[in-house]
Amino acid sequence: MYDWRLLVQQRLAGLLIEGGGAAQIVEELAGHLEESYQSLLRDGLSEEAAARRALERVNDWQDLKRKLESSRNKETILNKRVSQFWFPAFLTLALSMVLLAVIQIFGPTPWVGPMPGGRLRMTPVAAVYVSWLIFLPFIGALAAYLSRRAGGRTLALFFSVVFPVFPYVAFFVIGLPLALILDDKVAHNITLPAFFVGLSAWVIFPAMALLAGGWPVHYFASRRLDAGQGSGS
Amino acid sequence: MIGTGVKKGTAELAILSVLEDRPLHGYELSRRIEAQTKGSLSFSLAALYPMLYRMEQRRWIRGTWETSSNGRRRRCYRLTPQGKKKLQPLRAEWLELFSALQRLTKVSNV
Repeated sequence: MYDWRLLVQQRLAGLLIEGGGAAQIVEELAGHLEESYQSLLRDGLSEEAAARRALERVNDWQDLKRKLESSRNKETILNKRVSQFWFPAFLTLALSMVLLAVIQIFGPTPWVGPMPGGRLRMTPVAAVYVSWLIFLPFIGALAAYLSRRAGGRTLALFFSVVFPVFPYVAFFVIGLPLALILDDKVAHNITLPAFFVGLSAWVIFPAMALLAGGWPVHYFASRRLDAGQGSGS
Repeated sequence: MIGTGVKKGTAELAILSVLEDRPLHGYELSRRIEAQTKGSLSFSLAALYPMLYRMEQRRWIRGTWETSSNGRRRRCYRLTPQGKKKLQPLRAEWLELFSALQRLTKVSNV
């Protein structure tokens, strides 16, 4: 005896339907397959052959899932992209930039400490930078929440969370090498280790900080969704 | 055998026409269409249900959950007054198209 509801539920895992209609769709499709299967059994097919023939009604479960989502959700694909990716991404970018500016203006003053030999050591960048890094997980969490609430999948959520580092990625990967080649006013004594320190400081660490806030939101939201689908069917 | 593009266009007409007779649930609906067209029109789940949901959103059909005698819950679809209104021009359009094709290809009994 096949558990058609469980089978459909597993194949359509992650089906996102507005208003929580996913469980009803699973029930309806499972009912269809069940009736098809019973009818084939009555026609004299073996259980295995009947199940196989019934399942032939679905060539591609991912295609079915996409079509079901687009037919039941009123939003157009364009609106979905805006709400699931572009809006959280640009909000995250704007917030992180504003935060950096605010910390620079109102944040901690540069650390000034004595060094051996009586000289003073100043680390103004570190004071601003570390404060900025501490707040980034909250921004990442907000982006993840907004993207997830709009039905964003893992990929859209990931890119909207790390979106604030994209300008720095563009700078380090495209802008700086191009400037070194084309612009004779750029210092050409940038060493490779300095390049990687910059890349780590402005791309890798901020991305990790953003994900440190965004990923738990994604994880718990996914678990809640799975639990909801499990109990709803 | 009818091609995919034409099938897609005729699917709405087929569903509305079959539901005009009586309310049906998804499986019955697909069986009936298949039987009445002698297998020329058959729906996969990916074709049938998204179309039913889209037609429901346009308020051409309405789906309600019903419990059968064996206790199984099924969603039954029925034609709405808007669906009935939509069916007449759709029929006329397709009749016109088939007549035009018949004249063009000079094939009788299309």
